[in-house]
Amino acid sequence: MEFLGQDKREGLGRKAHSRFVLLLLILVSVLLLLSSLYSAQASVFQKAREGVIDAASPVLELLSGPISYVNGVVGNFSDYFSVLKQNEALRAENAELRQWMDEALELREVVAAYDGLQTYSAPPDAQPIDAYVIGESNDAFARSMLVNAGRARNIEVGQAVVDDKGLVGRIVDTGVSASRVLLLTDIQSRVPVYVEGANVEGILVGNTRAYPTISFTQSSDPVEVIPGQRVMTSGAGGVLPRSVPVGVIEGQSNDDIVVRLYANYARTRLVRIINYEFPAIGEIVDDAVPVVDENTAPQAPAEG
Amino acid sequence: MGYRAENLLRLFKGAAPTLLGLFGVLILALPVRFAEGLIPAPIIPLVVVFFWSIYGPDYMPPLSVFFIGILQDLLTGGPLGLWPAVYLIAQFVVLSQRAYFMGREQKVVWVGFAVVAVGVSVILWLVMSLMAGMMLPLRGLVVQMFVTAMIYPLFGIVFGQLHRRVLVEV
Repeated sequence: MEFLGQDKREGLGRKAHSRFVLLLLILVSVLLLLSSLYSAQASVFQKAREGVIDAASPVLELLSGPISYVNGVVGNFSDYFSVLKQNEALRAENAELRQWMDEALELREVVAAYDGLQTYSAPPDAQPIDAYVIGESNDAFARSMLVNAGRARNIEVGQAVVDDKGLVGRIVDTGVSASRVLLLTDIQSRVPVYVEGANVEGILVGNTRAYPTISFTQSSDPVEVIPGQRVMTSGAGGVLPRSVPVGVIEGQSNDDIVVRLYANYARTRLVRIINYEFPAIGEIVDDAVPVVDENTAPQAPAEG
Repeated sequence: MGYRAENLLRLFKGAAPTLLGLFGVLILALPVRFAEGLIPAPIIPLVVVFFWSIYGPDYMPPLSVFFIGILQDLLTGGPLGLWPAVYLIAQFVVLSQRAYFMGREQKVVWVGFAVVAVGVSVILWLVMSLMAGMMLPLRGLVVQMFVTAMIYPLFGIVFGQLHRRVLVEV
């Protein structure tokens, strides 16, 4: 292939490739990396991230449309092999859900009765914002998605992102018209959770695997969990709302409690950003109305 | 063709590899999910940087490589500076071995790319593990690099044609 590699000095680097510039830029990159280690939230880096998200979002939005169409037609190839089995499973699930629906309707009446009581004030309503996934980092270690809603639609850093199954992640960067969602599987992801029925709170730690693990900080005693128990956000730290479903306990492997997420990142397309505001303490004092927090709020009447 | 148009065309040709690299970054940031996400997207910028570092370093100046890497970091949300460092180190290594690769069979170049991909993976894994403070699972990275290396011959042919027929006017 003698035709290749003709030095015609036609490229961008007319003055030949300089080793000095190359080494200098390597040094600059390494310094950038080191400085971003110590100040990841520095305003310069943050501005750059947000600027690039905003600049790229129209292009990503344009291209992600056809891509998701192709994904939808060809991508879900495992469906072709399991249509019958899926159908059966769905029918069983439907029957089960019907029972749940009856129960939910009953409970709705009970809750309405409690709502009528003077002593109860409802927790503030969340204002969900719907958005499409327009980007996803195809990186072995960085797990995040870009959604087409930003500051212009009141998205703020820290808000929870859910899809129809459960928690997807939380907002970490917000541009004007697009934002970045840090997925639960990213190594930087830390989400306070509790295990339903096990009476323990912990932190869900991402490790780039499909199944994140729970690490416990409160108790050093060995924690007993049963596979199948639900994992929900605990709301600790006052960022994410309480009781957003996250996943179920998959099992335990060398001291790690492994969680199978409800969210299926290979199919996440439409998400909902929960614009949740925790009740402020000042307001409660002003109102002088005993506010029942969610832990002690009227639960489903177990006795009747 | 007017003088102006000719100049524009020359500029475009000179910038074509850089634009290809940036396009490769865009693919890494799009929600492409081959086979329900089982097959990760190939790291096309690495192929672009490798190819033009051998066959036309003038088309891939270090500053272009730097910007391709920075854009990738900013779009995929990784630590800033990681990918530029990785791409530039890859370019440094390739340039130092350029005399060896020139005029070799494509099979040899392919093996060379695979070696570079392994080296790049080691750097990525070490840096990210250090940052995470734990030994990160290698599987995802290995699969992605494997896909990239497997796809290299295809890109080698396409880029070779592009370079020969369009960019370098014979």
